[in-house]
Amino acid sequence: MSILNTSKEIFFNNIAAIILYIVSFSTFQGLKEIPDLVIFSFNLQMIIVYYYVLKFPDHLGLGHIFLAGLVNDVVIGIPLGISSLSYLVLSFLSSYIREVTLRSKMTSEWITFIPALFFSNFIYYLIINNFSHLSFYYVDLLRNTFFTFLFFPIFYFIFNTFHTKIYKI
Amino acid sequence: MADSRDDFIIAVRYALLKKGAKQKFSLFFLIILSVLIITLDRISVPFITSSRAIINDIVYHVAVVVSTPGKFVKYIGQVKTNHFYIVEENENLKKEIKLLKLNRYDNLFLKTENESLKQALKLGGAKNRDQKSSVRARVILDQESPYLKSLLINKGTKNNIIKGMAVFSKSYLIGTIVETNYFTSRVLLITDLNSKIPVVIQDSDVNAILVGMGKKTELDLEYLPNEFALEPNKIIYTSGKAGFLAAGLPVAESYLNKKNTVHIKSLADPRQASIIHVTEGQFNK
Repeated sequence: MSILNTSKEIFFNNIAAIILYIVSFSTFQGLKEIPDLVIFSFNLQMIIVYYYVLKFPDHLGLGHIFLAGLVNDVVIGIPLGISSLSYLVLSFLSSYIREVTLRSKMTSEWITFIPALFFSNFIYYLIINNFSHLSFYYVDLLRNTFFTFLFFPIFYFIFNTFHTKIYKI
Repeated sequence: MADSRDDFIIAVRYALLKKGAKQKFSLFFLIILSVLIITLDRISVPFITSSRAIINDIVYHVAVVVSTPGKFVKYIGQVKTNHFYIVEENENLKKEIKLLKLNRYDNLFLKTENESLKQALKLGGAKNRDQKSSVRARVILDQESPYLKSLLINKGTKNNIIKGMAVFSKSYLIGTIVETNYFTSRVLLITDLNSKIPVVIQDSDVNAILVGMGKKTELDLEYLPNEFALEPNKIIYTSGKAGFLAAGLPVAESYLNKKNTVHIKSLADPRQASIIHVTEGQFNK
């Protein structure tokens, strides 16, 4: 019984890292698999990284974020390290926001997600443009970023509910 | 003023260097590591290239397992959709068979006539295309990303797959090999923005470059002459220029969309490809 409880505890403590790895391995793009909802693609990795580094930094290690970024790069086929750096920049901004925020509110965290997304994507595109020969549609990426920002409150609510139920915070 | 600057520096330093209770690495260390990896990947050191090939093989196989539930859900959705269209498709196919039967008789007549004319001119039979080294492979991962439209296949350098080989699905070109590992390879689809193929348009001597648009099956032609107007229902073939692909491989066709403007789509739907053929037999050597 204690083994079951321990494994349950390990699973729930590392759920963010598990989801992050699954999403990175399967290159989840939101609702992109449904043809009619193809425009609603968003970056779930960024939402997870931002949320967990901001709210529960002990539940998502930076090493996991770094590794998930590498996995994402390999699966997508872009030069190694780009996603990792982008996620780490997002973690840095998220961590900074956590340090300077006195009272945590969903709306303020949602708004501060804009500069965090901007800087991490800026690093991402800057490196892709300078370190690879890949070209892509900026409009699609802007749309992806916009929906990442837009869907943040939904996942904020889901993760918050999950943590409230599990840890009774 | 100085206090607020100090606060900012303290917060930045804290965010970069402070390790949490369960953190093993500092953010600063991991950022430096990422930059190092990007640089090493960029300069293509042999050791890094071979390491990357091994990592790729492992990650691809794990990715196949992880994406299985998603694939299953997608498959169920496809089965459901297919079921609704199958009756309509059956009717269309019956009509098409009738039409093809009629055409077959015409073709037989033309073939016989052609053979007799060749014999009369002493030209001999047409030479078959060089079909050597065709490798049959299975698509193991077809996840799309906003940056690269590509497929992963279960054959690699072990099966003599090399970069630049042409990939066919149902006799139509769908892409080229851009990355090879020992057990797996990556196919850059013709629909990707980075795909550029020299082509020629049916019933004309106009050369152009066929480029992907990063969308499902839509393509575009670049470097067309200014006065040239593309007509619908024209097949676009590879021109074989620059020795990249053999000439005369059908790749795409033009069509009229709902707004009555001419667009181009690939003949094969790369997203539907499951068994593909990788070949160098179609290359000009």
